Amino acid sequence: MPASETVDFEREFEELVRELRALPSDTPASVRERVRELGEPQARRVFPRLTWRRAVLVLVPACLIAVVAAAAVHGLLSSSASKQTATSTNQAESGAGAVKSQPNPPATRATPLQGVTRKTPTFDQALTPSAIPSPSPGRYQNYQADLRVRVKDLDTLGDKTAQAMQITQQLGGFVASLSQSSTAGQPGEADLVLRIPVARVTDAMVQLSGLGTVLSQNVSIVDLQRVVQQQRQQIRALQLQIARITAALQQPGLSADERLRLQFLLDDTRRNLANATGRNKATLREAALSRIAFSLTTQKPIAPAKKHHSSFFGRAVSSALHFLGGAGAVAVAALIIVSPLLVLAVLIWLGVRAFRRREAQRLLGTT
Amino acid sequence: MKDVNAVPTTLPRLGLARPSFAAVAESELDAVHRYLLFLTGNRSLAEDLTGDTFEKAFRAWRRFDPRRGTARAWLCGIARRVALDHFRAEERRARREDRYARELDRVVEPAWGEGSLASALQQLAPAEREVVALRVLLELDGPTAARLLGISRTACSTRLSRALKRLEEMMSDARV
Repeated sequence: MPASETVDFEREFEELVRELRALPSDTPASVRERVRELGEPQARRVFPRLTWRRAVLVLVPACLIAVVAAAAVHGLLSSSASKQTATSTNQAESGAGAVKSQPNPPATRATPLQGVTRKTPTFDQALTPSAIPSPSPGRYQNYQADLRVRVKDLDTLGDKTAQAMQITQQLGGFVASLSQSSTAGQPGEADLVLRIPVARVTDAMVQLSGLGTVLSQNVSIVDLQRVVQQQRQQIRALQLQIARITAALQQPGLSADERLRLQFLLDDTRRNLANATGRNKATLREAALSRIAFSLTTQKPIAPAKKHHSSFFGRAVSSALHFLGGAGAVAVAALIIVSPLLVLAVLIWLGVRAFRRREAQRLLGTT
Repeated sequence: MKDVNAVPTTLPRLGLARPSFAAVAESELDAVHRYLLFLTGNRSLAEDLTGDTFEKAFRAWRRFDPRRGTARAWLCGIARRVALDHFRAEERRARREDRYARELDRVVEPAWGEGSLASALQQLAPAEREVVALRVLLELDGPTAARLLGISRTACSTRLSRALKRLEEMMSDARV
């Protein structure tokens, strides 16, 4: 207690203070006994009191460290996972019905025509035979592929288009359609539909991808084995039916009506056989020749992804920073949602406190 | 009186001596009773509320932190809340019951006996008697008393000064 404060009123009201302190106010024995009977409360374990200052000094750094540690772990794990994904091939399972392949990431660098190796491909390398889903030998399959390749300029576009046609012919295929546009000021485009024997399609894809930088690649394989078998069974059944009808027609003693009916039936069956045979030939043709929609373009990439770090450390740092950014966004969103509630709670608390103080003043002023 | 159970305990980690409840109760009982006597102006009521205060303090003892203030100030805070709760309950009861009947039943035992000071004290408002009790009798310092009353230090000082002046005037009037 500051001495000056006490001295002030004790000096000013010296006699009054002395009289006040001399007033009888001893606690009655009954009350004293009642208090003594309470004894000593049982000792409980005292936990450290969580004050605001302690919370700020301890909890906030602890939370920050935890978030940074989580980001580091996330970065390491995700960079490992992305590396595994990158090194896995996108080779499709052949002979199991429809097969689809993953599109390659944009701006995959293609290797020269003669530089194809049999190494396990990564995204930094050109398409290799192992990176392309190959058809199953001995099975009838409908093989369709889309390949989009970027070339340097309009001059190169013409050269590469010619090379693509040359590759097609070398592999025993043909160009089903070709359209090329090269307007000044606009990106040049060349769209080719190539029909290449299925047995050579992998070579074709590899060689075509070597004409530039692969932008996208899609492969679709549909198994036709069952279709061919069904068509062949149908042909055999129709041939058998024709033989029976022919034998029936050769029997003597047939009435004119019956003979006419059998003749009509024979004609129908022969037509059906011709159709079934035609369909079978079409299916076999389809299975023999793959269809490659090959596009060449001079269009520059719009926004090359900067975050494609090549090193493990770079990927880890990028992923960790991404995680921290996400955590920060979540924290800001939570703050935006919670802050009105906090303000409301503080206002309610202040209101209740003011009310209780005013009520206490009223009670003590009038009671 | 010394209590054999009054073994001081030590606050963990900080090494601050924490008194036992029994020792605090023994040493602060008179102060709390005197405070409640001034606050209520009623001797029997002050005795009841003193007992209630220490029962509450007994239950809340583990929350007492010597680093944040003296045991006397802590107990006075509890005593104040107990008294205010009582006043609120009394007010509700008065509203419910018939006013005339309540006045008939009300027998107030004089808190300080006879004399000019006693009658002057009875005329003071409880809030004024309260600040006199805290500052003069219990000798709490200004900031502690102000915090306990929920007012500023200036308001506390003004209230004390006004109460003492009023007391002096009333006593001098009575003597004349």
